[in-house]
Amino acid sequence: MFDNFLEQLYDNIIAQNRWQMYLEGLGATLIMTFGAAIIGIILGCLVAICKVSYAQKQRGPKRRRTFGSVMFGVLNKVCDFYLTVVRGIPMMVLVMIFIYIIFGRAPFSASMYVATLAFGVNSGAYVAEIVRAGIMAVDPGQTEAGRSLGLSEGMTMRIIVLPQAIKNILPALGNEAITLLKETSIAGYAAVVDLTYQATLIRSRTFSPVPLIVIALVYLAVVMLLTFIFNKVEKRLAKSDYR
Amino acid sequence: MITVKDLHKNFERVHALRGVDQHIEKGEKVVIIGPSGCGKSTFLRCLNLLEVPDSGDIWIDGEKITDVDCDVNKLRQKMGMVFQQFNLFPHKTIRENITLAPTLLGLMTQEEADAKATELLTRIGLLEKADSYPAQLSGGQKQRIAIVRSLAMNPEVMLFDEPTSALDPEMVGEVLEVIRELAETGMTMVIVTHEMGFAREVATRCIFMEDGKMIEEAPPKEFFENPQSPRLKDFLSKVL
Repeated sequence: MFDNFLEQLYDNIIAQNRWQMYLEGLGATLIMTFGAAIIGIILGCLVAICKVSYAQKQRGPKRRRTFGSVMFGVLNKVCDFYLTVVRGIPMMVLVMIFIYIIFGRAPFSASMYVATLAFGVNSGAYVAEIVRAGIMAVDPGQTEAGRSLGLSEGMTMRIIVLPQAIKNILPALGNEAITLLKETSIAGYAAVVDLTYQATLIRSRTFSPVPLIVIALVYLAVVMLLTFIFNKVEKRLAKSDYR
Repeated sequence: MITVKDLHKNFERVHALRGVDQHIEKGEKVVIIGPSGCGKSTFLRCLNLLEVPDSGDIWIDGEKITDVDCDVNKLRQKMGMVFQQFNLFPHKTIRENITLAPTLLGLMTQEEADAKATELLTRIGLLEKADSYPAQLSGGQKQRIAIVRSLAMNPEVMLFDEPTSALDPEMVGEVLEVIRELAETGMTMVIVTHEMGFAREVATRCIFMEDGKMIEEAPPKEFFENPQSPRLKDFLSKVL
């Protein structure tokens, strides 16, 4: 399989400027990952905060039913629906539904952005659960202390609970970012030319195992970089834990 | 100052409050004692609506707080609460813990709040801890900070929910000392505690609760020396 190893390396990386194909593919992969991560984090935080504060409202002092409180209930149901549906569908199916059905009329060149949106919507559901779990893991006594000082629900959440929740959320969020990066490798099924798809293209010319090894190493390198960054941030956040 | 009428609270398994009526005057120091699970903490937490009663009414300063239109946040600003587990904010320094609420709520400027924090910390002898984080303090120190954090809001009533129950025995004294000094300033206080000696010394009135009801109440001397109900006699014989 690896006869003429050097020759194969040359054929699959250097000949016909194929290394540019890897780079372009990596670019697409990174754009999709970061775009989807941002969409996922925003969507996930909104859904999580909606669900947590709805649950708190249910336990808190009785309030008059207003249009706002009814809409909040509806919004909570919408969030539940989103979480159930998105977590119940395989990511690949979701991406294809986005590209071929929901945005079926979008131009071919936009498929990478549609895929990014699909990855983001999918990731948002997982981020929502990560954030919700992180918030719930903060001692309820913290909320009680904040509220008993007269702080509003929003202030207590923003200034007391969320800064502590971030410490619980961050490790899991790093995991989610890594998963997201690797999952974008299915974008090729929806004709997005990402890193994995470029390797397939090259392989179809050279019939060599080298492109797969190359992209495996590239994914690995990016994951290691992400891990490094998340570890740094976690260390910094642990400041007040030191005795 | 505080009036409670026919208060009921049901949790999933326990009927924590079964019709509590109570009236507390300004300046009173009311100590509530009773076996665990008798509803004393629930009663205390209902007073600032951390626990929402199922039925019954509460008036604070003539305002009916069980009304749906009551501004709960305003109400809580004048009622300090001290918890068994201190509940200091671990990501904030001691000074920030104290100045956070008054400045956020616009009651004081940062300078005023800092001055107030300095004054309060000096009073409890912990000024040198102002820039430490809660994780660097002992349990007794944390609880003293928690008390002055409430005091920084200039409350009219202080609620204490078993303030010494989570402390090592050697640290109980320093916390009780702070509460005792506070009592001397004329603050209205409602205290749930298991420290009988302290109850006897600080209280103007003691209440015995059992099974979600207030069974007996009397000034401390009478309460401890001449209990009426057989249940209280039995309880005191076990704890004294």
